[in-house]
Amino acid sequence: MKSKARKKKASRSVTKKRGRTRKIRDKLLGLIMPAVIVTIVVLVVISSLLTRSEMQELAVSTLEGSIANQSDNINAWLSKNLTNFSTIKQAIEGTKPDEAGLKTLLTTYVGKNSDSPNGVYVADTNGKVYIGEGADLSISKPADEQWFKEGLTRIEMAYGEPYQNADGTYVISASGIVNDGSDVLKVAAANVTLEKISIIVNSGVKMKHASSFLVNKTNYMILAHRDSSLVSSTLSASSSDPVLAGAYAKISAGDYTTDQIHGYTVAFTEVPNTNWVLVSYVANSVILQDVTRLIIILLIVGVIAVIIISILIRLIVGRVIKPLATITENIAAMSSGDFTIEVSNTSNDEIGIMGDQVDEFVGSMRNMLSSINDESVKLRRQSDNSDTVSRNMYDASQSQEEAMANLNHTVDELALAVNEIAENATTLAMVVSDTKENSDKASERMKETVEISQKGRADMEHLSVAMGEIQAANTELVDSIGKVGKASQEITEIVGMISDIAEETNLLSLNASIEAARAGDAGRGFAVVATEIGGLAKNSAESAQNISNLIEQVRALISDVVAQADASAQSIHANSELIAEAVKTFDTIFENIQSTSHVIDDMIAGISKVDEVSSNVAAISEEQAASADEILETSKNMVEQAQAITASSQDVADNSHELANTSETLTGYVQRFKITKAD
Amino acid sequence: MKRNSFHNAAALLLTAAMTVGIFTGCGSSGGGGGGKGLKILYTTTTLDDFRNLLLEGIKSAASAEGVTLDVMEECSTVDQQVAQVKQAQEQGYDAVICLPNDPSTALQLEVVAGDMPIVFVNSKPSSDHLEADKYMYVGSKEGDAGTFQAEYVYNKLGNPSSFNALIFQGEPGHTASLGRTSAVVQYFKDKGVNANFVFNDTAYWTDTQAEERFDIFLKTNQDFDAVFCNNDTMAVGIVNAFKKHGFSTQDIPICGVDATAAGCQSIVDGGMQFTVYQSASGQGEMSVKTAIALATKGTAKGLDGLDDTGTIVWVPFEPVDASNVKNYM
Repeated sequence: MKSKARKKKASRSVTKKRGRTRKIRDKLLGLIMPAVIVTIVVLVVISSLLTRSEMQELAVSTLEGSIANQSDNINAWLSKNLTNFSTIKQAIEGTKPDEAGLKTLLTTYVGKNSDSPNGVYVADTNGKVYIGEGADLSISKPADEQWFKEGLTRIEMAYGEPYQNADGTYVISASGIVNDGSDVLKVAAANVTLEKISIIVNSGVKMKHASSFLVNKTNYMILAHRDSSLVSSTLSASSSDPVLAGAYAKISAGDYTTDQIHGYTVAFTEVPNTNWVLVSYVANSVILQDVTRLIIILLIVGVIAVIIISILIRLIVGRVIKPLATITENIAAMSSGDFTIEVSNTSNDEIGIMGDQVDEFVGSMRNMLSSINDESVKLRRQSDNSDTVSRNMYDASQSQEEAMANLNHTVDELALAVNEIAENATTLAMVVSDTKENSDKASERMKETVEISQKGRADMEHLSVAMGEIQAANTELVDSIGKVGKASQEITEIVGMISDIAEETNLLSLNASIEAARAGDAGRGFAVVATEIGGLAKNSAESAQNISNLIEQVRALISDVVAQADASAQSIHANSELIAEAVKTFDTIFENIQSTSHVIDDMIAGISKVDEVSSNVAAISEEQAASADEILETSKNMVEQAQAITASSQDVADNSHELANTSETLTGYVQRFKITKAD
Repeated sequence: MKRNSFHNAAALLLTAAMTVGIFTGCGSSGGGGGGKGLKILYTTTTLDDFRNLLLEGIKSAASAEGVTLDVMEECSTVDQQVAQVKQAQEQGYDAVICLPNDPSTALQLEVVAGDMPIVFVNSKPSSDHLEADKYMYVGSKEGDAGTFQAEYVYNKLGNPSSFNALIFQGEPGHTASLGRTSAVVQYFKDKGVNANFVFNDTAYWTDTQAEERFDIFLKTNQDFDAVFCNNDTMAVGIVNAFKKHGFSTQDIPICGVDATAAGCQSIVDGGMQFTVYQSASGQGEMSVKTAIALATKGTAKGLDGLDDTGTIVWVPFEPVDASNVKNYM
């Protein structure tokens, strides 16, 4: 019951656990993939941020490079022309020509410079103008001209502010005082159109999608712009184009650093030797277009990487933990009690070690369970045995108890019997003693008889002598002798009887001795024997009495015989043969009596022996009685002990029963484990 | 676990200690005499008054800091200067202080110098060729000189709304010429003053050119209220021209830059009214300090006047007029 409940509980907890169990592979994926995804996202974010800033920096430097290049190109173009103009001016200063000479000189430069087809022209403070032949110029009042005023502020030729010429074209003039030493100051000048500069500004941008425009920082006039409608318009804070407004703010502040204006990266540079600021700008969206593209590519690569990594992790982890699944199955089988499993191990990592260890564990468990099983089977067998034995013992001890009780009783009876025997033996001894006395008397009498018979023989011999004399009384004598013969016949019979009796007595005494030797159940028999012995003794006494009576008769008869013989001495004499025969018969009688006497002596000896024996029997019987008492005491103890044994064997029986139960339970447990394969 | 956390803690402590060490260590070596044992080479373009002052400033700063300073022969050509820098590199100098013959050759000089830091002084190479803690520039902000001049004139003329002025520039394209001139123009533009520059041309730093060109300007018969010169030499030339033509140096302020001996004397003598002191000794001192910092710590951080880009150490200009001219003589 208990174990069942436990089992149920265990199985419930197992299923509970199973409910929460997730595969290691999924777990690892669950742990690694977020990390990988986060890492990739972070990488994408970092690389996009880095790329973004790099791209922006690159864009800035490209823009700055482009604008510097444009500025250099403008400057170079301007400088080239300025050098050209300065050279012409220096030629004038060097040659100091007269008016005609000056004109001739100027004419030689007309059409020579494609950027300034009119060449150099000169005007003086008096309003006189010198223009080369073929130049398309008309100057009426040079003092009012901007280039003239500007020229008066310097000796080295330099470019002035752009202005619209008579054709409406924007031009810039390089002008400077001709240092020819004359008192009338001459200003030399040359025009270039802004067309070439516009080309540089609008098309010289060395960056894709970038635009430029050129601003005169003295009056914020836009000198060049791709949008031709904006050219010659003025840059102001209220310009509709936010880039223009922002550029105005920067230029007016004298800040020519690259800046971000309304989603545009705007770079500024001052064109050397001019008052111009070249502004170049590019939309950030254009710059970041590549960044966006890059981010998308990175994201795609990231997603692919995540997928590949997850597949790889699944594969790798699956591969790595493949043995683990087997081990898990094995452990599950183990927990359900199956120890027949074998963990095959192929990997050489911790899982492999685990598999080996599990295998070892299963092996040792299997061995252990097997041993337990064996042991419990043995135990059960032993306890069964023990149960049986104890039962047997119980039974045995119970029957022993009964037997002992019986024994007790028997011994009790035995004691009584032995006591009786002792008494009987004592009586017998006494009887035997009396018998002996009687026998002794009989013996004496027999001796007397023998003496008498010897005397009778002698008398007979005398008679024989007298026989010759007494023939007449022979016949009577023969009759008397006949009678004596009869009597002696009877005596012979009696003596035979006595002999028989003596023999029987002898046998009895033997029996008595045998019975006495058998201490146990001889009591009763002995009493009988003793009685018979008593009977025999009586018979012997009677027989002896008879003998004595007969012998009395014989003496009386002999007396008659003597008397008759006296009377018939003559007749006996005559019948000497008969008397001789009588003597012979007498001898025989004598011999018989003598042997009877011997028999009696023997009988007396036997009786003495019987006396001794019966005395011994009495003593032994007394000892036996004492022993029987001891036996009784001992058997009482034995009864008690047998009772104790009964109680103990009951306990043993109970215990072995318990043991049997326990071993059964144990076997039940062990049998829950499978340790041999069911093939 | 326990062990790991112990290691982490130890590593953290060590890092902290090292960080502290770096800061305190650096802090203490920032003082005077930190350049003992250093070998610095000075290469200069042709000398003039100011450049001599600069040379003296560098020499005294070097001896004060305890560095070995080797002054090379003045270079009249770029090649000569390149050769000197190469020599410094080959002979294992710790740094080179260079007054470039032509600031546009900076890149060439840097290539020759290799890992050896170069401190350009007084004549500023393009920002493109300056690199923080390696190829640095020590000088004064040219614009400040122009601003000081403009400020003086503006105040002197009583904050006019419009006036005529002359500008005599230094060599065309020279950073000093451009910076000083544009700062003057910008100052009045910012003030909303209609400054009419009736003459604005180079006089190539010289007094004779300035005087000659002033003469030519006079032929234009234009009035003028002030004269800005990019240096004292030209200003002194203008003072001479004023005397020749009888202009009042008191009414028409003549401003120079550099506070040279002649310039200061002119102020004392009532010729020039104003000059800007370009601290030759300051530039000398800072160039030596920067060279030491780059040679020892590898960084110029912590030096006074270091700009945001970390490539330039500005040595401030100081305005000089009659009131304080004595301090600069």
